[in-house]
Amino acid sequence: MKTLSILLIEDDEIESIKFKRVLDTMVIKYNLTLAKNGEEALILVQEENKIPDVIFLDLNMPKMNGTEFLKILKNDTALKYIPAMILTTSNNRADILECYAVGIAGYILKPLRYEDYKEKIQVAVEYWSHNELIKL
Amino acid sequence: MTKEIEILKRALAREKEARKQAEKILEEKASDLFQLTTDLRTANEKLEGLVSERTSELEGVFENIIDSYVVMNLSGDVLKMNDAAKELFGYDIDKEPLNVLSLIYKEDIPYAMQSYQELVKEGAFTNYNARVYTKHREVKNVQINASLIFNVKKEPIAAQGIVRDTTDQVKNQQIFEEQKKQLSVIVENSSLGIVLTQYGKIVQTNGAFQQLLGFTADELVTMNVQDISVKDEYHTSKEKMEALNNGDIDSFSIQKKYRKKNGGVLTAKTNVSAVWDDMGNVKYQVAIIEDMTEQLKQQLKEKKLLNDLEKSNQELNDYAHIVSHDLKSPLRSISSLISWLQEDYAQVFDEKASTTFDMLHKKVDKMDQLINGVLQYASIDRIEKKVYDINLNQIVQDIIEVIYIPEHASITITNKLPTVRGDEFRLQQLFQNLISNAIKYNDKKKGVVEIGCKEKEQFWEFSIKDNGIGVEHKYFKKIFNVFQSLESENNSTGIGLSIVKKIVDFYGGAIWLTSQLGEGSTFYFTLKK
Repeated sequence: MKTLSILLIEDDEIESIKFKRVLDTMVIKYNLTLAKNGEEALILVQEENKIPDVIFLDLNMPKMNGTEFLKILKNDTALKYIPAMILTTSNNRADILECYAVGIAGYILKPLRYEDYKEKIQVAVEYWSHNELIKL
Repeated sequence: MTKEIEILKRALAREKEARKQAEKILEEKASDLFQLTTDLRTANEKLEGLVSERTSELEGVFENIIDSYVVMNLSGDVLKMNDAAKELFGYDIDKEPLNVLSLIYKEDIPYAMQSYQELVKEGAFTNYNARVYTKHREVKNVQINASLIFNVKKEPIAAQGIVRDTTDQVKNQQIFEEQKKQLSVIVENSSLGIVLTQYGKIVQTNGAFQQLLGFTADELVTMNVQDISVKDEYHTSKEKMEALNNGDIDSFSIQKKYRKKNGGVLTAKTNVSAVWDDMGNVKYQVAIIEDMTEQLKQQLKEKKLLNDLEKSNQELNDYAHIVSHDLKSPLRSISSLISWLQEDYAQVFDEKASTTFDMLHKKVDKMDQLINGVLQYASIDRIEKKVYDINLNQIVQDIIEVIYIPEHASITITNKLPTVRGDEFRLQQLFQNLISNAIKYNDKKKGVVEIGCKEKEQFWEFSIKDNGIGVEHKYFKKIFNVFQSLESENNSTGIGLSIVKKIVDFYGGAIWLTSQLGEGSTFYFTLKK
């Protein structure tokens, strides 16, 4: 089985631990990179051999926020192929509309309960592990 | 002798000849005379005919003239009057004598005497305007032009006058004057400035306008509209004025600045209308000027107030939004941390600990619901305000499919719901909260919820009826306040009905309820058509 390389852009430490904890419950092989905000993530994705298969992105972050990062990503000739999924607490209609317009591969609301969260993340990661992914 | 005879004979013959000649001349002259006499007679006859023709023509004129014609002697006895005069005065001199003195209106006697003097002195008077009595003691206004009639010796023997009945004219004039007075009272006492102009020139102004600008009436009539206009604005009003003068428009209204005498500026609403003459050409422009200074000040104040209000309202909504999101994240962390404790130390914790964890989870759940409620409440006037045609049957059907309905409960739509103007998000929230409440607060074995609608003239009246626990009358108002829950149950946040109320308010409707404690409630609300 291939290793799925995931970039999680999330400023909350416990959220990152939670995400990793879910991945550890799964049988897939993964490679998780963490970024605390959009700027940090941009530096990471521009390094060679560090381009992830899939990105999970929080919207509310200090410095460069999720939508700003998404716009830069989707305007980049090489990086625009990376599927990016939003992982947020905001179900603000305007946010959702804007994200889909810019180009996202999914929009996941963070549930309150860990059990519900685990189920959602497992399904999403599982899904991307079955997909054909492109690296330029 | 013979010679003498001969001479005599010859002389006689000459004499004869001469006599013959003279006779012939005489004969000729007599014939000429006869001819002349005949011609003269013909001419005379012609002249006579002409005179009689003219006389009868004149007679005809007097008889047929619309105005009254009267001839009197110098003592005032009427000698002759035409039919019009008979009708006007009511007298007929063929039946009774008439002296003009009896006709003169009491108060006008001095004036009549004065005019008579003028007649005698000057031989005529014109435009004598006075009142007369008729035979039936009516008072009539007349205008008289009179002149003296002279005999061959140039002595005055009589006077003739043409009398015109001006009663109606005078009455109309009085009515006209009265109306003019009334109109000018209105114009003068109007709090609106009124100006009459003729092609840019000020013709007439009223007191209010003079007061507004500080000019006197005399000053204003020497001025042009341009003189009291603010320079950079004159052209915009000029364009409209041209359209008015061309007949393209009947009137126009602008907000215009005026220059006051003291150098100040007056901002006023100005309504200009065209005044046409009988030929359909624009004769005047009348402008009504309403001082807007106070109004503008007030408007500015209101606008600022509204802006401030909108801003603070927006800030409040944004604040609620941000706070809700910021609260959501740590709550998720807390929830996860509790779960991990439970997972990681499952063997260590006893029954009691696991109950404590469950209670912890419930509190976290409740807090999450509260945050969601605040978020929804704040979202009502944050989301887009566009309206669409929304089919409520579809909305309600979707809600019934989505929400949790216990097996013992049933929801029925009693009649077809209308399509209203609104947006899906708010309308769905409105119905969902009411229907959920009707299901949730039900203690009966068979819960029954009925959704109905009545068409009124201006709006739709909806009702959501349940056979649930009911609401005490004293709480009818309170339940719509935010965070006001009558239940201390975990899943009751007290936000649901406040959201419902806010949405109904948003669409300009009303909401109320009837309820019997223990028997059920019916919530009513209206939406504009």
